[in-house]
Amino acid sequence: MPLTHRGREILRRVPGGHLRGTPAVGCEIVRHEELCVGCGTCARVCPSGASRRGGSFDVAQLLDAPEGSRRGELGAALRVLMRHPPEGPIEVPERVTVYRTIVHDAEICLGCGACARSCPAGAVEARPPRTDVAQASGRDQDT
Amino acid sequence: MSGERRIVAFCCRECAYAAADTSANARTALPPSVRLVLVPCTGRVGPLHLLRALADGADGVMVAGCLLGQCHYREGNFNAVDRVAFVRRLLESVGVEPERCRMFTMSAGEPPRFVAAVREMDRVIAALPPLPRSGDTAPAAGTTDAAVAGMGVA
Ligand code: SF4
Ligand code: SF4
Repeated sequence: MPLTHRGREILRRVPGGHLRGTPAVGCEIVRHEELCVGCGTCARVCPSGASRRGGSFDVAQLLDAPEGSRRGELGAALRVLMRHPPEGPIEVPERVTVYRTIVHDAEICLGCGACARSCPAGAVEARPPRTDVAQASGRDQDT
Repeated sequence: MSGERRIVAFCCRECAYAAADTSANARTALPPSVRLVLVPCTGRVGPLHLLRALADGADGVMVAGCLLGQCHYREGNFNAVDRVAFVRRLLESVGVEPERCRMFTMSAGEPPRFVAAVREMDRVIAALPPLPRSGDTAPAAGTTDAAVAGMGVA
């Protein structure tokens, strides 16, 4: 899939984008919330604003977090105390930066994969573009 | 009964702990339930400190820091205020009384205010029922877990 001028511009701003070239665009982004540590790096590098820090936090995420991780430890403490399962998401105070849910809007996502490359927790997976698209771009290059 | 209660107070070295020190020198009695933990700044206290203290046996946790705007490290106490608010919402969402976690502010020169804060916290915790923990009823929790696991398999 040939990139438009704007696409190339965006890719230049993406960390690592110039190294990996065009095939990164068009990826399908799959988020694994249980691994996310809420650092917000993906939101910072996202060129399109598709990944954003949300204002609320789903408490159930703590209970699903892997054991031994910081969120997992918080989840373990919560499990000892809790009297009933969490009642949906809670609003996060302004200065609490890491316990936020990341909102990913697939509608405006470019599929550049910058979020996946920058995530320190491996919580974002960028699945390569569908093969028919890849083949089409291969044909473009041949001719 | 009051000997059973345990309140963990995270005290900022610059103000609350200094105030505690002065009040101790003046031989003012603090409620026997309180355990002081010295921190360099309340900005160091995170949700995990507060929640883990509750999970490991405290009936209440308090964070005692400098007056807002007078943090010795600029804004550590503002961070603490928001983290305490976050922990209170966390507790509330799983059915635990949010009153068990609270923030107080004072200056180093106000030992009476520190003592009043600790007494206030002790009074609030004394009025609450004991905090149940899943570890307290180990066999019951075990059977629930087994039941849940069983449901998962079936
Ligand atoms: S793949 Fe989508 S969400 Fe991720 S950085 Fe690119 S545009 Fe943002
Ligand atoms: S970079 Fe990864 S760990 Fe950090 S907020 Fe984004 S998805 Fe979560």
